Amino acid sequence: MAFSSFKVPRNFRLLEELEEGQKGEGDGTVSWGLEDDEDMTLTRWTGMIIGPARVSRTNYENRIYSLKVECGSRYPEAAPTVRFVTKINMNGINNSNGTVDSRSIPILAKWQNSYSIKIVLQELRRLMMSKENMKLPQPPEGQTYST
Amino acid sequence: MADQGAADPGNNNNNKPEASEGTIIKVTVKTPKDKEEIAIAEDASVTQFKEEISRRFKAKQDQLVLIFAGKILKDGDSLSQHGIKDGLTVHLVIKTAQNTSASSSTSTQAGNTSASSPDTNPSSTAGSTGTTAPPTQTPNILTGFGDLAGLAGLGMGSANFMELQQQMQRQLMSNPEMLSQIMENPLVQNMMSNPDLMRQMIMANPQMQQLMERNPEISHMLNNPELMRQTMELARNPAMMQEMMRNQDRALSNLESIPGGYNALRRMYTDIQEPMFSAAREQFGSNPFSALGGTSESGAQPSRTENREPLPNPWGPPNSSNPSESGGATTGSTSTSGGTTPSVSNPLGINPGSLGNGMFNSPGMQSLLQQISENPQLMQNMLSAPYMRSMMQSLAQNPELASQNPASSPSSAGTNTAQQQLMQQMLQMFAGGGGGGGSTQTPEVRFQSQLDQLSAMGFINREANLQALIATGGDINAAIERLLGSQPS
Repeated sequence: MAFSSFKVPRNFRLLEELEEGQKGEGDGTVSWGLEDDEDMTLTRWTGMIIGPARVSRTNYENRIYSLKVECGSRYPEAAPTVRFVTKINMNGINNSNGTVDSRSIPILAKWQNSYSIKIVLQELRRLMMSKENMKLPQPPEGQTYST
Repeated sequence: MADQGAADPGNNNNNKPEASEGTIIKVTVKTPKDKEEIAIAEDASVTQFKEEISRRFKAKQDQLVLIFAGKILKDGDSLSQHGIKDGLTVHLVIKTAQNTSASSSTSTQAGNTSASSPDTNPSSTAGSTGTTAPPTQTPNILTGFGDLAGLAGLGMGSANFMELQQQMQRQLMSNPEMLSQIMENPLVQNMMSNPDLMRQMIMANPQMQQLMERNPEISHMLNNPELMRQTMELARNPAMMQEMMRNQDRALSNLESIPGGYNALRRMYTDIQEPMFSAAREQFGSNPFSALGGTSESGAQPSRTENREPLPNPWGPPNSSNPSESGGATTGSTSTSGGTTPSVSNPLGINPGSLGNGMFNSPGMQSLLQQISENPQLMQNMLSAPYMRSMMQSLAQNPELASQNPASSPSSAGTNTAQQQLMQQMLQMFAGGGGGGGSTQTPEVRFQSQLDQLSAMGFINREANLQALIATGGDINAAIERLLGSQPS
């Protein structure tokens, strides 16, 4: 589902993404949806990343990472803010509260309005498989950040 | 009442234990590997949904984790609570108990187990290293690794350990980082530092046993603790592996210049080659190399030794795209190391620590290694032995090589050519089904694919191509240069 380059109104975009998330588009390794189904502003989303498993032996084997994605009022022109809820050790992720540093994740740094929540999640997953991140030891499964 | 009655059989048809009312919705359940459509009542609970799923996916209910729209579905919830409607997709992750604990703790436990029972049957050891052991586990050298690393693959929901192990090994071989990761694992190091264990593992493989029967020298090799240790060190340390390869190549190239060495090699070749190849063939399956030749994996995968670029695939139409690079690299390391005279009784002939260096660094060799390692059986340790032999055999079987090598040794291309030639011969031997057939192939047959390539490139004079190929020993680039050099333009 490609988003066109002319400016789509925010809510339309987010509704499209919501639908896509529910239909499970993509490869089945990421999932996203509204945090609160009653949220009319479509701002707060939860995402899930299924850690890369069999592609290569990574420390993220088969774990499920939970994230919060916040699409501000200027989305999709502005990148969303992303925060990991499940503890993770990865470059670009703040170790104490799980916030994703928008400057170190390439697609957040160079955000385009054709990007979407799905793409952000998939990109984060891809980064988990990158050489540098693959070696990082991961905290025991199931831990979450306190904030 | 009638309606109720009608509704119930309707529900029962869908295998749901409860006679819950409500329409049936079709929900797609997707795993990273798989996808199934499950019909369930709209107002069913997550637990019921999981029951259905566990039936369909043959997994236990508590192994299932369902995700919808970025949320994990808890057993107490209902599908409608999450807004799961007809036609929507729910993601499924099948966990196993081992996965939920950190893999390091699992391996430490396993490490202790294996340390305390070094002499137990390799399969049971391997079985204990992994937390689940399939009943018929090929006592594979990398069984331990497979189990450990196979934990990762367990999430796929595949119950087939063999498959997992094979995949793991494949990945292992192709990914030096993963390899070193695995090597760093204390369990692995533990295993590897125990020569007895390693030997048992090797010997427990039936094919290995056959190989050994035919070739008592192999068992010699295995029984030589020094050698085993060395090999294990090798396997443990990729850098050291490179080093050794380099040494080997160096010594091998020195071999040629030894006056008597050639004959000795040839003798060895005839003595050993036949059983070796037939054994190897069995081990690797009939003609796996011709099959492998079809796959072109040279481009994308990182090579086994990190500082090489993707290597051409010598199995298929030999592209030999980077011969000069590797040639340069290998010849750069040419130096003398005491060439031990090979003798039949010591099949490794040369101290493995000083053999066939440049060969191993050549692109063909590495691709070969990679592809050989695609085959899950007895990869690492066996690599040393059969390889060195086949090296020597190739050397022996090709007289051209000897004449060429000293003749063209000043130029790096020469050595490279020789190596390429060696590689290709060896490859052709394997691919052609080995068994004494290598040296009997006519040049035309041997260079068939190169000829094709050359003609595709526009060198239509087949005779000249063939000549050039023979002269360069199958090295396409060098052959092209020859052809171009011979033409006025």
